[in-house]
Amino acid sequence: MRALSEVRKYFANALIIAELELRKIRHDQTQIWVRMVQPALWLAIYGLAMTKLQAMNSNIPAGLTYLQFMTPGVLAQSALFVAIFFGINVVWERDLGLLNKLLSTPASRSSIILGKALSAGVRGIFQAIAVIVLSLILRIHLILNPLTILGVFVVIILVSMCFSCVSMAIASLVKTRERMMGFGQVMTMPLFFASSAIYPISIMPSWIKPIAYVNPLTYSVDAMRDMLATGNLHSLPLDFAVIVATTVLFLVLASLGLKKMIS
Amino acid sequence: MEEKAIVVRNLVKQYPRVKAVDNVSFDVDKGEIFGLLGPNGAGKTTTIRILLTLIPPTAGETLIYNVNTARNSEDVRRMCGYVPQDVSADGDLTSYENVLISAKLYGMPPKERKPRIHEVLSFLELTDREHDMVNTFSGGMMRRLEIAQALVNRPKVLFLDEPSIGLDPNARRIIWGLIKKLRDEFNTTIMMTTHDMGEADELCDRIGIMNRGHLSTLGKPAELKAAVGGDIITINSSSPNCFLKLKELGYSTITNSPDGHCDLVVNNGETLIPQLLEGLKAGGVEVESVSLKKPTLDDVFLKYTGARIEEGDTFAETRRARRAFTRRS
Repeated sequence: MRALSEVRKYFANALIIAELELRKIRHDQTQIWVRMVQPALWLAIYGLAMTKLQAMNSNIPAGLTYLQFMTPGVLAQSALFVAIFFGINVVWERDLGLLNKLLSTPASRSSIILGKALSAGVRGIFQAIAVIVLSLILRIHLILNPLTILGVFVVIILVSMCFSCVSMAIASLVKTRERMMGFGQVMTMPLFFASSAIYPISIMPSWIKPIAYVNPLTYSVDAMRDMLATGNLHSLPLDFAVIVATTVLFLVLASLGLKKMIS
Repeated sequence: MEEKAIVVRNLVKQYPRVKAVDNVSFDVDKGEIFGLLGPNGAGKTTTIRILLTLIPPTAGETLIYNVNTARNSEDVRRMCGYVPQDVSADGDLTSYENVLISAKLYGMPPKERKPRIHEVLSFLELTDREHDMVNTFSGGMMRRLEIAQALVNRPKVLFLDEPSIGLDPNARRIIWGLIKKLRDEFNTTIMMTTHDMGEADELCDRIGIMNRGHLSTLGKPAELKAAVGGDIITINSSSPNCFLKLKELGYSTITNSPDGHCDLVVNNGETLIPQLLEGLKAGGVEVESVSLKKPTLDDVFLKYTGARIEEGDTFAETRRARRAFTRRS
């Protein structure tokens, strides 16, 4: 009984932290609109150009156009690119003193991290909506129904949570905004390129393939591609298991790091 | 033995390169305003952060209302309110939202929230700015809002880390008034740090002076001032025999400069001056001016921390203090 109320309190606190972040977005929505630009460019410019490459088209799963193949990748990419810099917020809040105050409340450290990760997840949703709307405009044929859209939202939230936890864990080690910027830059491209986001793993150089297989981004792209493009849901449980497990792992690491962050 | 609000026993905090807190012990009574004074880097903030369970102590024991802070950290945090030295109100939210989030995090039941938030906002005279964004606030308003956030939970112990740092004199007066009101009306125990002597003298029932991790002295402001010595009367006179005459009258002078300055240490300077002047006049000494200097906490501070006030600053602390100042002013 007591354990149950502890668990309830834990998630309640996480939701309060997320609410705090979302209220901030409500007051200033520019960031949401600005963040829709980048995925739009990937899809509309890069995607349309690559469609013309024969090598791309012959290596993606049969029956898919390149844009169908790539849209889930852009969805995952948009979540990754924002979440990987999330640690900067936490460093900023530490420098301001906001973090000290949060930590002096009864909320546990990991519920604070979970709440922040959740807010990163919700931010990701807005971009996902933008990508889906754009795919309709570009007449990319996707399997869109309430279930697949819900599934995509869940994956986007999870993948944003996962990489924002990675980012917060790193932030607790590097401790300055400038270094955090650098680390974010260093990590985004390898994570993005060593995944199946914009080309199939089969055409990668063989030494990158193992990296792609341990990259959680690959699994989130895979999950969304299954739901939106191929309709083949065989590997969905594995995809979700990998994403959830990595998220939990980095949630724990980031929570442990939070202690170091303020000392 | 009566239960204390705060008990600190042999507290030590060792960082890789410095001992921030070195074997510090003190108690704080319920309803008391207790001040920790000291130069930057003396260990005041570290002590507060250990009490608030933000960092673990290396050795020693700390209790708040008999709850061990190291063992039951969540219970301790629930009882306390904290206003950090840095700006900690969220500028991207309204004042109402800032207090609302605090109320929620302290687990206040939904029905109680709204009236309580209005109550603290009106206590801190922020009612008319309830729905304004905090990033438009002045430093003093920001500080009041931060105190409102800390008070919404009706804490048993309120920790204020440098409550008036970077505030203009007027805003400082307002904050001081609020702190006193809080103690008088709600009997809240308040523990604060400061390096402003005037502030400590004005507010604190008792103060402890910290220097380089040690607690150098502890007592009521009046006691500490008395311990530094009595009042100093300085007499300016062109008569060459002033010094001798004073000696004849039975006063011991501590200085006798050639330009006619005589300093003497006495008790109750105010009541002594008329008597002293009459004595000198009767002795034919022309007195040009007299001044009286009462000891201040500054003198106490200097006595216990020496001339090292500036030296204690680390780069990070200086930077933080400056930034806090520029942000508030």
